[in-house]
Amino acid sequence: MSEPLVVFDKVEKKFGSFVAVKQLDFEIREGEFLAIMGPSGCGKTTTLRMLAGLEAPSVGEIRLQGQVMNNVAPHQRDTPLVWQSLALFPFLTARQNVEFGLKMRGVDAAERKERALRWLDKMGILEFADRNISTLSGGQKQRVALARSLVMEPQILLLDEPLSALDAHLVIRMQAVLTDLQRELGITFVYVTHSQSEAFAMADRVIIMGKGEIAQIGTPKDIYRAPANQFVAEFVGRNNILSGRVAALSADSARITTPSGDFTVPTNDVSLTEGHNASFVISADLVHISLAEPESGNRAFCRLISEEFVGSMVTLFLEDRHGQEFKVQMQERELSRFDLHSGDEIWLSWDTASAHVLNET
Amino acid sequence: MPFKPGRNVNLYALTWRLPIIFWQFVFFVGPVLFMVAMSFFLVKNYRMTEAFEFVNWSRMLSRGYFWDSYWYTVIIASVSTVCAMCIAFPAAFALAFRASESTRRWAIFLLIIPFFTSYLVRTFSWFVILSESGVVNAMLATIGLGPYTMLNTNFGTLVGYMTLTLPLVVILQTVTMANIDKTLVEAARNLGCSAFRTIWQVIIPLSKTGLIIAAIFCFILSFGDFVAPFYLGGSQEPTLPILILDTTKSGQQWPRAAVVAIMMMLTLFAIAFIGIALAYRKPKGAK
Repeated sequence: MSEPLVVFDKVEKKFGSFVAVKQLDFEIREGEFLAIMGPSGCGKTTTLRMLAGLEAPSVGEIRLQGQVMNNVAPHQRDTPLVWQSLALFPFLTARQNVEFGLKMRGVDAAERKERALRWLDKMGILEFADRNISTLSGGQKQRVALARSLVMEPQILLLDEPLSALDAHLVIRMQAVLTDLQRELGITFVYVTHSQSEAFAMADRVIIMGKGEIAQIGTPKDIYRAPANQFVAEFVGRNNILSGRVAALSADSARITTPSGDFTVPTNDVSLTEGHNASFVISADLVHISLAEPESGNRAFCRLISEEFVGSMVTLFLEDRHGQEFKVQMQERELSRFDLHSGDEIWLSWDTASAHVLNET
Repeated sequence: MPFKPGRNVNLYALTWRLPIIFWQFVFFVGPVLFMVAMSFFLVKNYRMTEAFEFVNWSRMLSRGYFWDSYWYTVIIASVSTVCAMCIAFPAAFALAFRASESTRRWAIFLLIIPFFTSYLVRTFSWFVILSESGVVNAMLATIGLGPYTMLNTNFGTLVGYMTLTLPLVVILQTVTMANIDKTLVEAARNLGCSAFRTIWQVIIPLSKTGLIIAAIFCFILSFGDFVAPFYLGGSQEPTLPILILDTTKSGQQWPRAAVVAIMMMLTLFAIAFIGIALAYRKPKGAK
């Protein structure tokens, strides 16, 4: 395996006495699409800004290709950033915006123009080259912002919630544009977002941050199916989280007693101790429903509270008589067989292998 | 009485607007019209008589001393504007980008304080500092320099102009630059622009409107100021305000003074018009 492109080595950033991020220890691999995700205030933007040199780490080292970057000024780095607000220069035309970075690097006018026009063309906005930024639509501005960064032909592109200001249908379009670009150019993308759908749709790997620390690093599938801890499980959302006490332990499974009943879970690599507290999750889409009680296995009897439709997928929100909440996600056509109404009582069940024990932190 | 909403609203609006319209007519439009009319009057035996003659205009505008004074005033007001803008910029830059919000607020408060005292008093205090036996020359003497003549020179006039304009120019520049979206400055840095270069590349273009308005104010104040060129410049070369004073004093030539005043107003109108047109000019490619 080749040397990672970027290494964060025990990086910490304080603003006065406020610790924005701490114990940042991760690497960014050459050519990957890395998403950094977390709720607002989790330190994801600070992490990105440190990579761009707009903030200096208080403790630790950031290395780019083995070179320590802590004291390299932002304008001496090759880490263009696509800003949440886009930060396009309002006094320049679309083409002049794209040329800006090249001009700063001392590229001559003819080459600047040629490269800027090539990128505007690639982004499908060549016809707006000589228009002022204020006359462009949200989607067009987005493309100018991308072209302005990519024209620098960087090794790494930083993106700070670039799609958060766009309409939902444009977001989907731009996601496709971004993933295609990343694959075509083969450059590393570091994408900061609070949107799980954006991160999971585009990223090769995702870093989940909470309260200034990394909560989990993994592929979208890892994070979705096997959240490392309660924070990630809750942040990812469509998970059922049950907590109880370890009643019995065998080689590869455990019996956990919760107020809602006893459940069997695979232990995976998590070390459990008999008699201690433990939590586990089951992804909402791995829970089955039935009107009759299943004969064996993990099951819970619940009352339907409400339903939520998103396209052909429906999420059921349920509660058992002990107040434990459950979520079930399924295809709408699958659900229609049951003819359910809120208040109806049904059985939930899941395979033991679907459950995932959390590391208590 | 039947209720007519439209009519009532108009009356209501008019009632509120009336004082300002009245004020404008009585104290601005009226006097200006009178001054224009007066520039065509004649002075006979030191007394002004109503007439409609172009003799004041042709006399003033054909005199070398008028044009000497005119161009001297335009040039020294321009120099004053350039000086004030340049001296104010580093201070305003520091207040806008380096100072904290509360420091900035205090600084603006302190910059307003000079306006509490009379400009004339502040001008007189320069005598103590700039005269041949003043503070500056006393300090220079300790290192074997001087004494230098600073009063009754162009330098003295400029010091006076700075006393008048600098606090205002610093305030206007600070407020303008403090309102810049800092992300744009960071974006420029991110694209390879050094901190110093962002001033020309981003900060000045972004604060263009406010900077031009600060410059217009500075020019207008300097151009029309009487105190600095008279007391600190010693009216060596008379500026237009001094020329107006001299003209009225010498033989009660109010009509000729009116000609000078109208020329000044026309010049300021032109400067303000061009300046504001530049300040609000749409960037390239805008609709």
